[in-house]
Amino acid sequence: MKLLVPVKRVVDYNVKVRVKADGTGVETANVKMSMNPFDEIAVEEAVRLKEKGTVTEIVAVTIGPAQAQEQLRTALAMGADRAILVEAEGAEPLGVAKVLKALVEREQPQLVILGKQAIDDDMNATGQMLAALLGWSQGTYASKVELSADGAKVTREVDGGLETVQLKLPAIVTTDLRLNEPRYASLPNIMKARKKPLETLKAADLGVDLTPRLTVVKVEEPPKRQAGVKVGSVSELVSKLKTEAKVI
Amino acid sequence: MDMMMNDESRMLQDLVQRFVERELMPLEAAVLKREAETGSYRLLPEEEAPLLEKCRELGLWGLDVPEEMGGVNLSALDRLMVEEEVSRTITPFEFPPDSPNLHMLKAVATPEQREKYMVPYAEGRMKSCIAISEPGAGGDPAGMITRAVKDGSDWVINGRKIWVSRVPYCDFIILMARTGEGKREEGVTAFIVEKDTPGFIIEREIAMIGGKKTYELVFEDCRVPESQVLGELGRGYAPMQLRLNIRRLQVGARCVGIIGRALEMMIDQANNRATFGVKLADRQAIQWWIADAGIRMHALRLMVQAAARTLDAGGDVRHEASMIKVFATETAQEVLDQAMQCHGAMGMTRELPLQLFYQQVRLMRIYEGPTEVHRMAIARRMLKSRGSRS
Repeated sequence: MKLLVPVKRVVDYNVKVRVKADGTGVETANVKMSMNPFDEIAVEEAVRLKEKGTVTEIVAVTIGPAQAQEQLRTALAMGADRAILVEAEGAEPLGVAKVLKALVEREQPQLVILGKQAIDDDMNATGQMLAALLGWSQGTYASKVELSADGAKVTREVDGGLETVQLKLPAIVTTDLRLNEPRYASLPNIMKARKKPLETLKAADLGVDLTPRLTVVKVEEPPKRQAGVKVGSVSELVSKLKTEAKVI
Repeated sequence: MDMMMNDESRMLQDLVQRFVERELMPLEAAVLKREAETGSYRLLPEEEAPLLEKCRELGLWGLDVPEEMGGVNLSALDRLMVEEEVSRTITPFEFPPDSPNLHMLKAVATPEQREKYMVPYAEGRMKSCIAISEPGAGGDPAGMITRAVKDGSDWVINGRKIWVSRVPYCDFIILMARTGEGKREEGVTAFIVEKDTPGFIIEREIAMIGGKKTYELVFEDCRVPESQVLGELGRGYAPMQLRLNIRRLQVGARCVGIIGRALEMMIDQANNRATFGVKLADRQAIQWWIADAGIRMHALRLMVQAAARTLDAGGDVRHEASMIKVFATETAQEVLDQAMQCHGAMGMTRELPLQLFYQQVRLMRIYEGPTEVHRMAIARRMLKSRGSRS
């Protein structure tokens, strides 16, 4: 079974994100970039499925700038077999989903595993849009995936508990935090990744129009948290909640 | 962030960073507590075993071991980048095998010596150290008087060595001794002496600052066969120097890592701590410490990278190694001092890693050649070669 794993290049989770002075976005110049952590979980799951023998080939893909091949190399070092970079700047979830649809039609995978969302814009949309465009079943927020030849049993993290769904293949799975703990790419595998194939395409090669449909009005930092106060008694707390915070 | 870094180096850096953050940093509190309470600055076997296991799994093993011996044989550039990353933590750990003598062995070992010593050493099955300094000859090893005299087919060694690290854990030591007459380094030969060789005596353990221990050794009619001569007779100095140059670049890389950590702690403290109603971050004195530390860390890293590239291209880095050794240790000492100052009383505790780093850097200003000797050597070369580029 062939598996497609889309990954995204994002600002590293350790970096304190700064808003650009002109409010058009966040600063990415000279900032450490990494693979979206949820996508890392997706790659790990794909590699585990391959190790179990149900999957025979893993294709990692990304839609992003030329430098996004770094993240594809990381996916290859973790265990993906080959990679495809579709060069495009600032694509929106719908555009990305359209590119992925075109790649799915080209590659014919049985399963697409991707992060539930990217930690940069937290859109949480690409997987669902791709499922809609393809008319495939979807299991989002997966915390457990059991794959067989004809279907996938996906445990989902939902409000108040776990929900288990049985998907018919082909299908889309989006990963949640607790699905697995991604491995470190070992040094020998890092060296081997260099020799694995990485293909570069343009969105136009796939016949996809990535013209933005959304306009970013403004990006701003969240308001600074005010310092708290200590209260002396319950009655003082209640009165402050009534008169100052005005929440009761 | 280095835009010129290739994909493999970037991923290696990522791997090492994660290893340091997730495996080594969490041990720091226990390491510091133990060092403060018992003076022991070593990992417990039960702490070390899983780390070694993980290193094997991740291929972080034999980083500077030649490929024909199953190692990774990283470039100096990558090896020093790894050194920088692992130096950010006070947890005492080196990627196995601990191999400071590897470069020297690689340069001069005979096929028999490679088989008997270098292969097990490279695989981490044997440990070794080197004995150079003597009570009367430290920064100027050419003044050494430990002597080896030929007797039949053997060599008989008499003398005294001091400041030797790791002796009790070593299976063999590399011993520098005089075998002939000559000025300075002429007539100095390297020998491989196995532990338990009669006449090889560990005289005493010396407690150093920075949690380190060194040993004084006595050689009393210590007899070794001809096969233990390492390299050419009377020419042991040059290969030893080769080893020292790499050590000096490592000191540079270590200081970049230590400065980076100190700087990070200083920035956190500046952003969080207020005095007299003003954040430390808003005080110019602190701002300048941070700015100057950042400038000098950047300069030092570039110096180390440039020397590593020269070394990788087969060049001689003796001069650069001296410059790096001086600049790295003095800069790190000053930045650590400021980071401790910035932390106030907290900076004086043995709960923070700063004081132990401080002691270690203090030690670095002495070993592998004291600052003043390096300055002297740098100046001598410059005075002799006016007009050459450096």
